[in-house]
Amino acid sequence: MNRRDVVKAILWSFVGATAVIAFVRFTKGLGAVTALTDTTPWGIWVAFDVMAGVALAAGGFVVAACVYIFHLEKYKPIVRPAVLTAFLGYGAVIAGLMFDLGLPWRIWHATIYWQHHSVLFEVAWCVMLYFHVLALEFAPVVLEHSVFQRPLFQRIYRILKKATIPLVILGIVLSTLHQSSLGSLFLIVPFRLHALWYSPLLPLLFFVSAIGLGLMMVTLESLISAWLFQHPVHKDLLSGLGKAASYVLCTYFLIRVGDLYQRGQLGFLLEGSWQSAVFVIEILISTVIPAVLLMKRKWRENTALLTTAAVLTVSGMIMYRIDVGLVAIARVPGMAYFPAWTEIVVSLGIVSGAGLIFIFCAEHLALFDPTHMPEIKANPYAKPVFDPVSKTWLGDRPQQIVRPVSLAFVLAVAVTAAVLPTKATSEYERPPTPVQGAVGWDVLRIDGNRMLEYTLFPHADHIKLFTEKYGEREGCVRCHHMSKPKDGPTSCWECHSDMYLPTSIFNHDRHRDRLGGTESCVQCHPAGDSKQTDTVRKCDWCHKDMFQNQESGTFNYIAPSYIRAMHGTCTPCHMEQATEVNREDLANCATCHTESAYPKGRPMLSENVDRAIPLKWYPQSLSEF
Amino acid sequence: MSTESKGILTDVTKCIGCNECTKACVKNYNLPETPPYTQETGDGLSAYRYTSIIRVSANRFVRKQCRHCLEPACASACIVGALHKTPEGAVHYDESKCIGCRYCMLACPYGIPRYEWHTATPYVRKCSMCYERISEGKIPHCVEACPKEATIFGTREELLEIAKERLDENPRLYLQHIDGEKDVGGTSVLYVSDVPLDFIGWKKEMGTKPLPALTWGALSKVPGLALGVGAVMGGTYWIIERRNKLMNTNKRGEDDHE
Repeated sequence: MNRRDVVKAILWSFVGATAVIAFVRFTKGLGAVTALTDTTPWGIWVAFDVMAGVALAAGGFVVAACVYIFHLEKYKPIVRPAVLTAFLGYGAVIAGLMFDLGLPWRIWHATIYWQHHSVLFEVAWCVMLYFHVLALEFAPVVLEHSVFQRPLFQRIYRILKKATIPLVILGIVLSTLHQSSLGSLFLIVPFRLHALWYSPLLPLLFFVSAIGLGLMMVTLESLISAWLFQHPVHKDLLSGLGKAASYVLCTYFLIRVGDLYQRGQLGFLLEGSWQSAVFVIEILISTVIPAVLLMKRKWRENTALLTTAAVLTVSGMIMYRIDVGLVAIARVPGMAYFPAWTEIVVSLGIVSGAGLIFIFCAEHLALFDPTHMPEIKANPYAKPVFDPVSKTWLGDRPQQIVRPVSLAFVLAVAVTAAVLPTKATSEYERPPTPVQGAVGWDVLRIDGNRMLEYTLFPHADHIKLFTEKYGEREGCVRCHHMSKPKDGPTSCWECHSDMYLPTSIFNHDRHRDRLGGTESCVQCHPAGDSKQTDTVRKCDWCHKDMFQNQESGTFNYIAPSYIRAMHGTCTPCHMEQATEVNREDLANCATCHTESAYPKGRPMLSENVDRAIPLKWYPQSLSEF
Repeated sequence: MSTESKGILTDVTKCIGCNECTKACVKNYNLPETPPYTQETGDGLSAYRYTSIIRVSANRFVRKQCRHCLEPACASACIVGALHKTPEGAVHYDESKCIGCRYCMLACPYGIPRYEWHTATPYVRKCSMCYERISEGKIPHCVEACPKEATIFGTREELLEIAKERLDENPRLYLQHIDGEKDVGGTSVLYVSDVPLDFIGWKKEMGTKPLPALTWGALSKVPGLALGVGAVMGGTYWIIERRNKLMNTNKRGEDDHE
């Protein structure tokens, strides 16, 4: 296997993995394969595949403008790969959208339901039109192939050739519009986008950075093609592109920093927040370092340095798109987004698909400048590989490629299907209660109601108690593995069955408070025993004279809760009377839970109900018993 | 804005947090009683809850719902116009148009629209101010269910009058600000409160400028920009082409491009 086949196998394996995830995504919904939430509606598929994809494809219009409009004929050899890269880039954008849109089969709605106030509407139209413009720009290269020898194709070929200049101009117009509009998309989120990125100049910044990125993407694509197809690097051309890129990057830097200064936001850089760190890293790798590396001709002509600069700019500008679209967008605290691995694989899979088509085109079409290609030492006596007449492959070459590549594809499909997250394969279930472990898991914080109000659960104490009581294995099993689905732990209430049920005769909270808060538990619950009613000291432990006529221990402690008792006593009669005496308000909550409770700052609790029974009837302290 | 434009006024000081509004909404829109977990954002809203009660302190509850902005950012963002402000005051969502781009969710300054993440045919969900009901002259389910008249329905002007009266009558209780009167260009869902409501949007101070103006500023320049760029590019091509031709008159007839 040569290096191209290895690359193909890797790309095909990503495509295979993507195919599996695509099946899940379209049958189970976005939630099954993404980490998207209501607070992160746009994830990596938008930020990387769509926003960065469009920017990466900017090389197409930049090079086309150089060659056809500014007549810089020198760059002609790289027009075809640049246009193909752009075409495939937009193809990847559309593929990414098909994954990301909730209802992708309605993508054509944008063509009939016009909403010209939406930036997205403009972007959609430009992307759609430009995709077709690129297809027409690239079509002549396809039609040059020997398959299209018929006169009809040749006529189309000549028409397209003549239409080159109008197509190129249309392409430049459309690119200018939507490259900048991708920035305008975020003008509507001034409150969510961090001040280091939010700027009224977003459209301009996106446009200028797209030109710099486009130039460096063409450079990088040339370098990769040269490596992949083992032909020499166009040093002179790439140096010229690099020079232009360094000017563009400097301009971009000046606008970016000048804009920050002008808006008085430079102070954020010294803030030391993670956003300022992200900003500095982004501006360094996207602009500053590459601009310096591209300054000198000698450096530009050094392949290693040029590659470094190209990789840095491309990744840095992708980072700019991802920062604006994803990283610097404010979210609900505690709802951080990190892409699920399935999202990352799909992103890579889409790019891989584009890469495979590029390689296919490079192998079968006159993509590269023939004068620059190394002469292939053709063996005139070698058997032909492909017979175009009978359309059959000859010899063993195809099998040699196909075998490892298809193996990689099938393996990737199998591996992906095997490691899919459970939420992708099973019915969606409520995830476990949020539990935060304290240091050493001595005390857990459990948010049972998901109200961000945590209960402290002394896990270490429970372990100690249970191991002492039941032994090491049995102890754990009291809570874990108790025939719960997925070995979930036992809920508190399953043991502490009546912990928080203040009954009409026993007010737990009141006792606790009177006896000195949480340290008073042991006064009623003997130390070392579980905190339950059947182990607690009975009332007459303290209230010596309470049950003089009853046998100690026969008292039934489990009674309806206070709320149920009160509501059960009051509301049925209230409801009845509401209709009988025609006073609707009698049945309303607010009749008893009155406003008068508010100025004093009391919650809607039983204590604050306007009572039919005056408060004085209730015992105020233990001494009254 | 027509005088017929309706709105909802929620008085935080009157709310007892009984959740009757949520229950009425759940019941009448056939939402699941125990919603499938949908990556809740902590405020209780989800694709299965169009309104929720947020407990801000022991005895203060704030009902969260779509604000039905006068100039809604979501409607301006929507690529196919599935969201639009109706004359009745509701921001209406037409699910037959939606393509699921979720730009509205990003654009909303209050973070209201939610998505059905766990279905193969997902839609955006949010409070519709019971659009079908109010266009028949009825009042929304949530308002009908409120036992305390903490949330009331009427034309926006009436509600503003009532809100002002309450602030004047009880200036020591209320914060002297009608939330939604001017915020982000004004909203149809108004609040009066004695606790600050700055947590309800993405930023504490969101200003009075409607958000759609921000993108429209850039978008309105598009036709001019398109013509300008086209003209400059065409002109540049023509000038250089002509100069080249004049320079190489002998070489005329050669294929110009490619």
